[in-house]
Amino acid sequence: MTAITEDHTRRAMAKRDQWARNRTILLLLLPGAGYLLFFFGLPLLRTVVGSFTSLDGAFTFDLWVELFNEPVYIDGLFFSLWLAIAPTVVALVISVLLAALLQATFPGRRIFGALYRIPLVVPGIVAAFLIMVMLDRGGMLSRIAEPLGIDLPRMVRDEWGIGAILASTWKNIPFMTLIIGGAMSAINRDVLHAARTLGAGRLTVLVRIQLPLALPGISAAVLLTFISSLGSYAIPNLLGPAYPLPLSVHMYEQGFRRGNWPIVYAMGTLLSVAAIFVLLAYYSLIGRLTGSHARRGSRS
Amino acid sequence: MPGLSIRGLTKAFDQVRALDGVDLEVPDGQLVTLLGPSGCGKTTLLRSVAGITDPTEGGIWLGERRIDGMPPERRNFGMVFQSYALFPHMSVFKNLAFGLEMRRLPRSEIKQRVAQALHLVDMEAMAGRLPRQLSGGQQQRVALARAIVIEPDVLLFDEPLSNLDAKLRDSLRDQLRALQRRLGVTSIYVTHDQVEAMALADEIVIMFSGEIVERGDPVSLYRRPIFRFTAEFLGRTNVIEARLDGDRCRLPWGDERPVENSTIDDPAGVAIRPEDIAISTANGSDHHGEIVERMFLGAGTNYVVDAGGVRVRVNVAGTQNALIDIGTPVRLSPPKSLHLLRRGHHGSAEALA
Repeated sequence: MTAITEDHTRRAMAKRDQWARNRTILLLLLPGAGYLLFFFGLPLLRTVVGSFTSLDGAFTFDLWVELFNEPVYIDGLFFSLWLAIAPTVVALVISVLLAALLQATFPGRRIFGALYRIPLVVPGIVAAFLIMVMLDRGGMLSRIAEPLGIDLPRMVRDEWGIGAILASTWKNIPFMTLIIGGAMSAINRDVLHAARTLGAGRLTVLVRIQLPLALPGISAAVLLTFISSLGSYAIPNLLGPAYPLPLSVHMYEQGFRRGNWPIVYAMGTLLSVAAIFVLLAYYSLIGRLTGSHARRGSRS
Repeated sequence: MPGLSIRGLTKAFDQVRALDGVDLEVPDGQLVTLLGPSGCGKTTLLRSVAGITDPTEGGIWLGERRIDGMPPERRNFGMVFQSYALFPHMSVFKNLAFGLEMRRLPRSEIKQRVAQALHLVDMEAMAGRLPRQLSGGQQQRVALARAIVIEPDVLLFDEPLSNLDAKLRDSLRDQLRALQRRLGVTSIYVTHDQVEAMALADEIVIMFSGEIVERGDPVSLYRRPIFRFTAEFLGRTNVIEARLDGDRCRLPWGDERPVENSTIDDPAGVAIRPEDIAISTANGSDHHGEIVERMFLGAGTNYVVDAGGVRVRVNVAGTQNALIDIGTPVRLSPPKSLHLLRRGHHGSAEALA
């Protein structure tokens, strides 16, 4: 009888200890997790909820119906993705080569290493004006090309958004190069030398050793460039065509010009979900590329 | 297979000459170790041979073929690094297969040659592992296998054992030597460890300040070095200033011995290895000096004897001798004949001595 009561009290005490410990853990998590919940989770939730709320506060699917039925918005979504993916891919290719080049020592490397970073301190809107001055009809480039009899294609306010893509690319190259270069310089030099002595030329070393080992940095650079281009407003607004407009421009127009906030919430949610899908696709592609390497290795 | 010749090799950085006109022949199938303190140029020399560093002047030949200026991937040299330098994202198998893939060998041959090489270093069971899943010793064995699987014309070692603990270092050193003998690959081995150099080398090259001080087989270099720098870098030695009288020499405590090489220029003193002096306890005024330090090392005992102001190191091997206490008066018995040392090499070695 006493044994049972004792056992019972011991279990009760253990349970109380467990509670106390859980409470402590929650308290300790509060500054970090609480901050994230409050400043990130709540606004995000507000956005999602707002996309299901009409102007008079009632629950509704109307905004989503409108979004998916208006070609203006559907075209806008794809144009947004195009204006984010194209400069990311172009800047990635250039940045990888540039980062690899900067690993080597050559005369003038320090000056070059400083010069390529200049676009980092140029704001997006300034970059957009620079591109406009250069590439617009009657701009510097066409004035140089014209006497030579070369008729340059339309690159500003053109339907493919070439000017906007060039501006985003120009702006993001130093940023990506900085991150990828950092990841590459963390690679042990002897590993690269070993690959050379084993018969690999510079390009093979880049593809088979440097790229896989710098992959975390490359992924970070891709993610940051993609997201910042996806949300960029100044560049497509100045350099992009009149139709389609990317969702970022639509959001500004609808929100500030027309006060139609519910549709802005819906577009914001759509853009975020689309971004998540693109990044999931990126990571699954990378996983397939590197996973196949590892699998082939372990099978042998 | 042809041997390797290095002629007049110089590597100048802004102000410093890391290599200063080095000439070196590595005969076919031999293992030459480059030995010297850090900064002596031994690693620069090795990297120039590998093609990782471009020398400023001079040439490197493999037999009749001049190879300096050729990129490393075309030299067919295997290299083993101090940091192992395995590809961290590839399995052991892929690490070894890499060099063979570069040579575009068929898949079946790659598998077979990788298996053979892994067998040589006793790592067959680890083919599927990643480098980080291996111990340091295992990683270095994989690195060795990766260097030999391509059947290189020359093997280059850049302090491959320096990151390993003492016991592992000994056993891996012996394996490495056996493997190099068996394959008969011309090899250059860089180290700052004189024991490693003596155990491995057909010839030891002593370097200092970008130049070769002296070279020779381990036995003659240890027993009859020309320079004081060599004598002190290869093991420990007593360099004793002695009065020279024709071809005889008088030691500070009174003994007189013939000198083997009394005709050399600029003598720095006689060299007596601590293990070549015997000591015995003495009584009364018949002693040469007294014990001032004693260190028991198990396999032997090291003493320092103060002989009239000259400190003499004496090593007594064996475990059967009774230990002599500090303060005991002793007599010293130097070897039958003595060997004179020359002062430093171009004045530079003196700075260290």
